[in-house]
Amino acid sequence: MTDQALIIQFQNGDSKEGAFTQLLKRHREPVFFQIKKMVLEHADADDIAQAVWIKVWNKLDGFKQESAFSTWLFRVAYNETLNFIAQKKRLNAHNNQNELDHTLEHPSSQNALRETEIQIKLERAIAELPEKQRFVFMLRYYEAFDYEKIASITGTTVGGAKANYHQAVKKMTELLQQA
Amino acid sequence: MNDMNDIENESISKNVEEALKSFEAKAKQVPAGYFDQFELDLMQKIKAEGQAPQKARIVSLFSNQKKYLVAASLFFAIATGYLFFNKAEDTTNTIAKVEMIDIETLPDELIEAYVNNNELVAEVEWNSAIEVVGTNLISTNN
Repeated sequence: MTDQALIIQFQNGDSKEGAFTQLLKRHREPVFFQIKKMVLEHADADDIAQAVWIKVWNKLDGFKQESAFSTWLFRVAYNETLNFIAQKKRLNAHNNQNELDHTLEHPSSQNALRETEIQIKLERAIAELPEKQRFVFMLRYYEAFDYEKIASITGTTVGGAKANYHQAVKKMTELLQQA
Repeated sequence: MNDMNDIENESISKNVEEALKSFEAKAKQVPAGYFDQFELDLMQKIKAEGQAPQKARIVSLFSNQKKYLVAASLFFAIATGYLFFNKAEDTTNTIAKVEMIDIETLPDELIEAYVNNNELVAEVEWNSAIEVVGTNLISTNN
């Protein structure tokens, strides 16, 4: 059954839960991994992913299928992730300490021992990218989404998405050379 | 990565690419059975939310007639403004007319009555002033 058919099933109220769990099973992994690549912490990614799917449950009735379900889903994930990061930044500013930076500067001990220097540098470089550039980079590099889809997810133009990707690559390369 | 080895990725050096691969592998590390548990937790949360008492919806009484309300209030404001400024204009005209009355055109009786009235007022003022002075003199002599 296609996503479209499952959405119609959900919207008609016939086996709402069944249709939803089908969609969830199909899309939960790429969405979760995208979020995790953005926030790095498993627990944070879990919280955001839960919030994303709850939003999907609440809003799917009003989804008009003007775009693909995955585009809409990633857009919800994008907004939730940015909201989470902004909230965390505010909280950390209040506590006078940046937890995300802390995580990246002191990666968990067991992992750190196994990680090569370049991996640690890369994580730092990724964390230093502006959120939008980071999100665009992950979608393009890891998910191989086309720029049109990325533009639609991040609410920008195709040119803007391309520029974001190239800026991200450039900055990462520069930051890795500096480090 | 998915066949992304096109021109745009040529700028990513080999070692960065390696690091990106291991970054992805690290991001994809999840506890065993994580996604099944995720689904269970999520559905529980959704059910709990559905059972939770719904917040009372606030329904505006005139939500359908907002444009008419706006139009009516605009009309009211314009009409009030028009009436107010027209009235003010009338009053100014009346005052201007009174000021323009020529003293020579007034009847003598009116002028006499005005003078008499004012004389009376002047007399009363003089009398009270004299009384005050007199009282003061008496009190100083004592």
